[in-house]
Amino acid sequence: MIEVTGLSKTFKVSTKEPGLMGSLRGLVKRKYITKAALQNVSLKVQQGEMVGLIGANGAGKTTLVKILAGIIHPTEGQVSVLGHNPWDRNDQLRRQMALIMGQKAQLWYDLPALDSYMLLKEIYQIPDALYKQQIEFLSDVLQIKDQLKVQVRKLSLGERMKVELMGALLHRPNVVYLDEPTIGLDLMAQKAVRKFLKDYQREFKPIILLTSHYMEDIKELCPRVVLIKSGGLIYDGALTTIQKQFGERKKLVLTFEEKLTALPEFPAELGLLEMSENKLSLTTSRALLNSAMDVLLKKFQPQDVTIQDPPIEEVIEDFLQKGRA
Amino acid sequence: MRYLRLYLHFLRFSFSRAMEFRLDFFFKIIMDCMFYVVNLGFYKILFLTTPMLAGWSEDQTMVFVSSYLLVDALHMTVFASNMWMIPFSINRGDLDSYLTRPVSTLFFVSLRDFAANSFINLLMAIGIFAYTLMNLKAPYTTGQLLFYVGCILNGWLLHYVLQMIFIIPVFWTQSSRGFSDFFFSMGVAIERPDLVYRGVLRWLLTLVLPFALIVSFPARLFFGPETPHLFLHLVFVTLAAWGFMLWFWKKGLRAYSSASS
Repeated sequence: MIEVTGLSKTFKVSTKEPGLMGSLRGLVKRKYITKAALQNVSLKVQQGEMVGLIGANGAGKTTLVKILAGIIHPTEGQVSVLGHNPWDRNDQLRRQMALIMGQKAQLWYDLPALDSYMLLKEIYQIPDALYKQQIEFLSDVLQIKDQLKVQVRKLSLGERMKVELMGALLHRPNVVYLDEPTIGLDLMAQKAVRKFLKDYQREFKPIILLTSHYMEDIKELCPRVVLIKSGGLIYDGALTTIQKQFGERKKLVLTFEEKLTALPEFPAELGLLEMSENKLSLTTSRALLNSAMDVLLKKFQPQDVTIQDPPIEEVIEDFLQKGRA
Repeated sequence: MRYLRLYLHFLRFSFSRAMEFRLDFFFKIIMDCMFYVVNLGFYKILFLTTPMLAGWSEDQTMVFVSSYLLVDALHMTVFASNMWMIPFSINRGDLDSYLTRPVSTLFFVSLRDFAANSFINLLMAIGIFAYTLMNLKAPYTTGQLLFYVGCILNGWLLHYVLQMIFIIPVFWTQSSRGFSDFFFSMGVAIERPDLVYRGVLRWLLTLVLPFALIVSFPARLFFGPETPHLFLHLVFVTLAAWGFMLWFWKKGLRAYSSASS
């Protein structure tokens, strides 16, 4: 289990006025600002859970992951990962966790992945039988058997991500931190990585903490999400709940038999009306939906009427902008 | 044993990689040969004008010179390329993946890359060292020779410790250029017999920044006659330097802020 209580992290960052004079002034007297990367964050993650960390760039997601992985020290707060304090960096915990960063390669670039795996086997003291079993299982599921003997630098981005994933999971960790695992990958590769993570989670039940800017990753993989804004936790719960409770906007679509020629007059306070071919789309708030529908249905007789929830990306964006707790 | 097995992996990887870059491989050998010729030549010319240097004869001085060439070759082969990368790893956040591995981070960052292309030079340095020892006129026992080799290996590790002490500030300063330049300037002191230094400078080079202990003290112990206090001095300062470096490294890791993703 992961337990985080009152976690805060501040960074001291130096600032400089522009130009040569600014540089000279900085040389004599440097100015610093204190940046709060995390503020009083508390959460619990149970074994077998897959949690998505969502937030804008610089919100504090990666800082949280780095503290949980024992890479950086917090300014305040308590963290327990599988009963250990991560920044004690004891080997007992480090043998049970894995960190995968989509933007950073961890395998030897000039060597085939299998060579690096031999080193990882030694580092994690993986027994021979488990090592063989994991190589067999992971290469099979990830479909990269043929790429394991090719130098990592000669692999495509998608293949490289797969061999990185495989390397990180060889020791069968109980806690996996995934930081942007699908970044830069094409749609096919993203899909393959997602499918793999889903299967892996089902098979071995590790804790998986995932940060991603691709909502598709979160939607497919994480029943629970944690939203972080400016270092603070603003939501912790089911992804579907956000959509239901906080999906303020609704989209009303009226479909007609004939192609429409002009956008009809419509009170702007009831929402934004748009026209395309034989469709009228109205984006409005949940509260105004009934009134808006009344006005439209009095004016038109559509062939079909549908009410759609806004895409989750928009809901999250709204939510993050408003910072609602 | 586990760390030895890990190091054997590093060796295997490094040799495989070095063979791929042939030009670099041979160029490095030529560069180091020139370094050896310049150093040995300098002292050969010096002895055309004087019979003794800081109390040492020419054959003794040549053993001293070949000893620091050996320390340099060992350093270049085992540590140098890794140490060059440490400030970049700290600034770019590459230390992240080492910190999550169940293995000493210091071991990993210091020994990961074995400079296979310097290995030939290491063999040459060993050859020069053996040759100057054979030409040493004063008699010595096998025990004395082994003791000397042990002290030289200690000097090599002390050199690593001193360089680390000058690299670690990068955790706070982000740039270690000034510190590194200072280290290399001070490093010239390794190449001179310590008795040429006097006063504060001598105190500095034998206690605070003990560059003189790397080769000069072992040479003095080997050539004799020296009192045991010189050996105790060597042991005490070496242990203190190791202790300080490990403490400083831990402080550095605590201050490590990684890099934005």
